[in-house]
Amino acid sequence: MTPELYNFILKTADDCFILGHRNSEWTGFGPFMEEDIAFASMAQDKIGHAWLLYKMLDENPTAAETLAFKRAEKDFKCCHFVEQPIGEYDFSLMRHFLFDHADQLRYEMLMNSSFEPLAHFAKKFKGELKYHTMHADTFILQLGNGNEESKARMQSALNFCLPLALGIFEAYEGEQEIIAQNIFAGEKVLQAKWLEKISPIIKDAGLQMPDMASLQAVNGGRHGFHSDYLQPLLKEMREVVDAFPDAKEW
Amino acid sequence: MQSFDPRVNRIKPIEEKTEMNIGEAWEPYEVFHQKKRGDHHIHVGSVHAPNAAQALLFAKEQYGRRQNCVNMWVVKTADVTQFQYDDADIFETAIDKEYREAYGFKVRDKINAYKKANP
Amino acid sequence: MYGNGYTSPEEAAKQKPDPLAGEDLQQLALFEERIAKGEKIEPQDWMPKEYRRQLIRMIEQHAHSEVIGALPEGTWITRAPSFKRKLALIAKVQDEIGHAHLLYNAAETLGKSREAMINDLLSGKSKYSNVFNYPATTWADVTVIGFLIDGAAIVNQVINAKGSYGPYCRALERICYEESFHLKQGHDALVHLAVGTKEQRAMLQDALNRWYRPIIHFFGPSDKASVHGTLLMKWKVKMASNDDMRNQFLDQYVPKIRELGLDFPDPKLNKNAEGIWEFSDPNWDEFFATINGNGPCNAERLAVRRWAEEHGRWVRKALMNPNQKQVLPLS
Repeated sequence: MTPELYNFILKTADDCFILGHRNSEWTGFGPFMEEDIAFASMAQDKIGHAWLLYKMLDENPTAAETLAFKRAEKDFKCCHFVEQPIGEYDFSLMRHFLFDHADQLRYEMLMNSSFEPLAHFAKKFKGELKYHTMHADTFILQLGNGNEESKARMQSALNFCLPLALGIFEAYEGEQEIIAQNIFAGEKVLQAKWLEKISPIIKDAGLQMPDMASLQAVNGGRHGFHSDYLQPLLKEMREVVDAFPDAKEW
Repeated sequence: MQSFDPRVNRIKPIEEKTEMNIGEAWEPYEVFHQKKRGDHHIHVGSVHAPNAAQALLFAKEQYGRRQNCVNMWVVKTADVTQFQYDDADIFETAIDKEYREAYGFKVRDKINAYKKANP
Repeated sequence: MYGNGYTSPEEAAKQKPDPLAGEDLQQLALFEERIAKGEKIEPQDWMPKEYRRQLIRMIEQHAHSEVIGALPEGTWITRAPSFKRKLALIAKVQDEIGHAHLLYNAAETLGKSREAMINDLLSGKSKYSNVFNYPATTWADVTVIGFLIDGAAIVNQVINAKGSYGPYCRALERICYEESFHLKQGHDALVHLAVGTKEQRAMLQDALNRWYRPIIHFFGPSDKASVHGTLLMKWKVKMASNDDMRNQFLDQYVPKIRELGLDFPDPKLNKNAEGIWEFSDPNWDEFFATINGNGPCNAERLAVRRWAEEHGRWVRKALMNPNQKQVLPLS
């Protein structure tokens, strides 16, 4: 596997892994039992997607575990958006809406990838991702059009999230080669499609889209520069593994 | 309060009395799932939801996350009309209605007798 | 995950000397005849007030136990040590919430709203399984809960699934099916610790030591003298005595711990010649103190649930439909 392809798959996997981990924190804490169940399923889906992608990088059976549980923070390539703590449900829902539309579009584009294993996964993930955006859209539309409080909460969540969400599309090392080899059409193409997709939903939800040109993307993640939240997240996630350095299996 | 759960240490658990107000649990919808094309939709339980679209989203994960499913219906519980169990006797019948069952019609003996008599 | 209906002294005091006073005897005879024949009771059926009251109490306690039971195991949800364990634990805790959901619906068919049940949980008025008032202090606790507490719950739930109330039986059937996955994943994770490094094994033994007493408490104090021949047994609300269920559990599970060369911290734990498991006095005072709110985690469990309800309120309120009706789920 070429280094650029490795890097592309790795950052895609890292996003899903860290977001799935974050969203799993809601399990048992959600606003409504039925929603608790739905959100936990989507967290599992994300972690599952990451697991499959990590395995694609290295066939060694323990490679995925090593990537998740032993890798240094600076070697993670996820965006800052997914690293943020779950906060209140308004933030978590808005992140879910913004991220999952990008995720769904990314895999739609990957269905035509010249790298066959990715095209294969893209088809496999399709149904789960469709549910994720269906779920997100239903909530955004209703809460945006809900009462005064929910509208205000969703608007401020949107304002807070957008610069972070733009970090999803940060250029990464080897992107030009990935485009040239027809593996993926590129982050800028994805960003344009994403904006086109989410804008009408945000409008229908009665929310205001800020002037995108004035927003500064929160970048750095694709180059290993992370928010203050990633290191503590990894430390917590590895607490058991780190305490038993001789353990071979769990 | 120091918890063994790091998630709990990130929130401020609430010591004071708090209540869920009536109506916050929305209203029930009955859920029917279809395991595969060609099958009937079968009642599997209910979900509470603020509207039908939301009820479907919830039903999908609560009743579809573990089993095969190709379709689901949700129906507002308030819209279901049913008999009373007290009236279950209306399903009982006075005579064995063999006149409307296949087993009620047997002429093989007559045919055999006819064939024997008319070789 | 649920042990058994627990009647607090306050509840017992509320019990009328004649629970059938004022009931229509002709209806009662039909009702009891139906149960004796093995038929199920459905929500719209006539039923004695005492039957309804006891079932609400029991199903509600069971539902609360699932919701609260999600918390001790959820303690390790961000720290599960591999992909498989991480996914299995999220799925398992999610199932507990799913079970609570099925059970609240079943209890609602008897006439108590979900809101009222949640409020009785939050105020401490309703009880839940005592075992969840203990902390899950290490990863090994997750494996012990997954294998032994779920194992104990299955014993109870399989028996109760043969009870008389249709909606509860239907919910339990689905729950038992899912619990078999819980048990397997719990056993798998526990065995991996037992055959792992000596540190992993030591962590497991320590967890077994700490959970032994709560596990013995799980089915509640002996009620053999009081339940046999009572209305609850006759009405198939209670299907077996606490001692019988505990014995069945010990019979199934003690050998599965001992075959790994591990044991519970009780030299008296042994099966006698009559097939009855004997054990040291498990200090029932501790059980009563815990169930009445003085266990190590009671305050935290409820405070976390209050946080979840309070912080979810804006979502629930925003989506409320002005035309929504107060109705009960059908079945």
